[in-house]
Amino acid sequence: MTDLPPAPASAAMAVALPAPDYNEEVVRKFVIASVFWGVVAFLVGVYIATELAWPQFNLGLSFLNFGRLRPVHTSAAIFAFGGSALIGSSLHIVQRTCRTRLFGGDALANFIFWGYQFFIVMAALSYVMGFSQSKEYAEPEWHIDLWLTIVWVCYALVFVGTLMKRKEPHIYVANWFLLAFILTVAMLHIGNNLAMPISVYAAKSYSLFSGVQDAMVQWWYGHNAVGFFLTAGFLGMMYYFIPKAANRPVYSYRLSIVHFWSLIFLYIWAGPHHLHWTSLPDWTQTLGMAFSVMLWMPSWGGMINGLMTLSGAWDKLRTDPALRFSVTAVGFYGMSTFEGPLMSVRDVNALSHYTDWTIGHVHSGALGWVAFISFGALYYLVPVLWKQPDIYSRRLIAWHYWIATLGIVLYITSMWVAGIMQGLMWRAYDQFGFLQYTFTETVAAVHPYYVIRMLGGVLFLLGALIMVYNMVRTIRGDVAKPALEGPTGYAPAVGD
Amino acid sequence: MNVEASDIVVGLLMAVFAVIGLLLGAGAMDDEMYIFGISLFLFAVLFIFGQIRRHYDRADARRTAKHD
Repeated sequence: MTDLPPAPASAAMAVALPAPDYNEEVVRKFVIASVFWGVVAFLVGVYIATELAWPQFNLGLSFLNFGRLRPVHTSAAIFAFGGSALIGSSLHIVQRTCRTRLFGGDALANFIFWGYQFFIVMAALSYVMGFSQSKEYAEPEWHIDLWLTIVWVCYALVFVGTLMKRKEPHIYVANWFLLAFILTVAMLHIGNNLAMPISVYAAKSYSLFSGVQDAMVQWWYGHNAVGFFLTAGFLGMMYYFIPKAANRPVYSYRLSIVHFWSLIFLYIWAGPHHLHWTSLPDWTQTLGMAFSVMLWMPSWGGMINGLMTLSGAWDKLRTDPALRFSVTAVGFYGMSTFEGPLMSVRDVNALSHYTDWTIGHVHSGALGWVAFISFGALYYLVPVLWKQPDIYSRRLIAWHYWIATLGIVLYITSMWVAGIMQGLMWRAYDQFGFLQYTFTETVAAVHPYYVIRMLGGVLFLLGALIMVYNMVRTIRGDVAKPALEGPTGYAPAVGD
Repeated sequence: MNVEASDIVVGLLMAVFAVIGLLLGAGAMDDEMYIFGISLFLFAVLFIFGQIRRHYDRADARRTAKHD
């Protein structure tokens, strides 16, 4: 079932038209940054997981405490690792699918890269120094927010400009998702960070909103950061790299358009489910819940389209472990977008909210979907960008895949068990109507699961380090000995 | 000269950022703003140096290509 139009850069077109002189330098930089920040994010994640299991690891140092390192971990994972992978791959995708060089010249592209890295470093530094506007996933203070706005506007300018000067009549669906990601994140970032600084020379500001309105705006931003940064953007990545790696057209182009518009329309209303059982009006909570449940369908539209693109090419999963990353990511996407609507139901949320179930849910999305789809894209991009015939070792990709998968399984299962146990313990009453457990008892009960979670994180980090080694060897142009590749190694097909 | 328009626009923008960074650093009321201001100044200056280097690298490459 393949509808019009065809997948990008068909073989016939590639022969008919010479490849333009693409700006690959900026994409290469973003690929390196993404891999670097990935390792940083996973390392800090392991460290704060260790702190939660054994608080002595705070070491009595203010800049190492959980409250300061946690936003370093989340920002490094979402904005530094995921953001660099997204911006880099989007600049690759838009050039290839539009068959034109980036709009705005090399200097602007270079500014987007270095300006974005400057934002990441400044944000991380401000967190460890104790500066934060206390908004989850929007912690940086006003001056860093303004800087990101400048960088983001330049990014939007380059992306839209490239689309406008395209040599292809059609705008490929990946670009639709990426454009939604760029424009909506700009709107969310500006809306949620409207604040009044106490002085232009002080890194302290007060939000334009107060009370429950502030909470509502924050979670309008927060949930749509998930929806448009971590979902729409990475779906754009999926729609380019899975068809390319599988060498198959998108299963249903029509489905991709239908689920794009329904996803965009529904996601923006789902934020209130983060504020169930709070002073937010009931009708708003119900609205958020209803739209979250409806979101299940467009989310699974994307999953079905991603998985079914493998129709007729499932055998590639045996020989191409990088594609295995991408396809497993789509599986995790389907799983976490089923779990999300479930948790948004108010009665389920009464049990799950404030527990580690939420942490498990977030990580099944962040590790299983975001990281895995990024790994698949990075493994595809590195040989292409550094003009190598193939990745250094496919066997090492397979090792990375299995170690990381085991890490995710340990992480999310331990958090499910810990979270549901916490929720049940918090709500348990004895025959006299008193709470059955003290909060301290619930903390002691989850300790073993925190240790298991930390071990899961160590495995995920170990997998990423294997990836770094594999990529460095690939970039250097090394070739693995065929004997090392063994039976799980890649046997190139004729014409590869 | 063979300078791209975007080089000029981005270079001027960087000069403005460098001045803003200096002003923020000079008037900073806390450590965070001081570090941000000075870092912004250094970032912008280094970026401009990078632009100058790339300009002459490109010119060298063109000259080499012409002689070949």
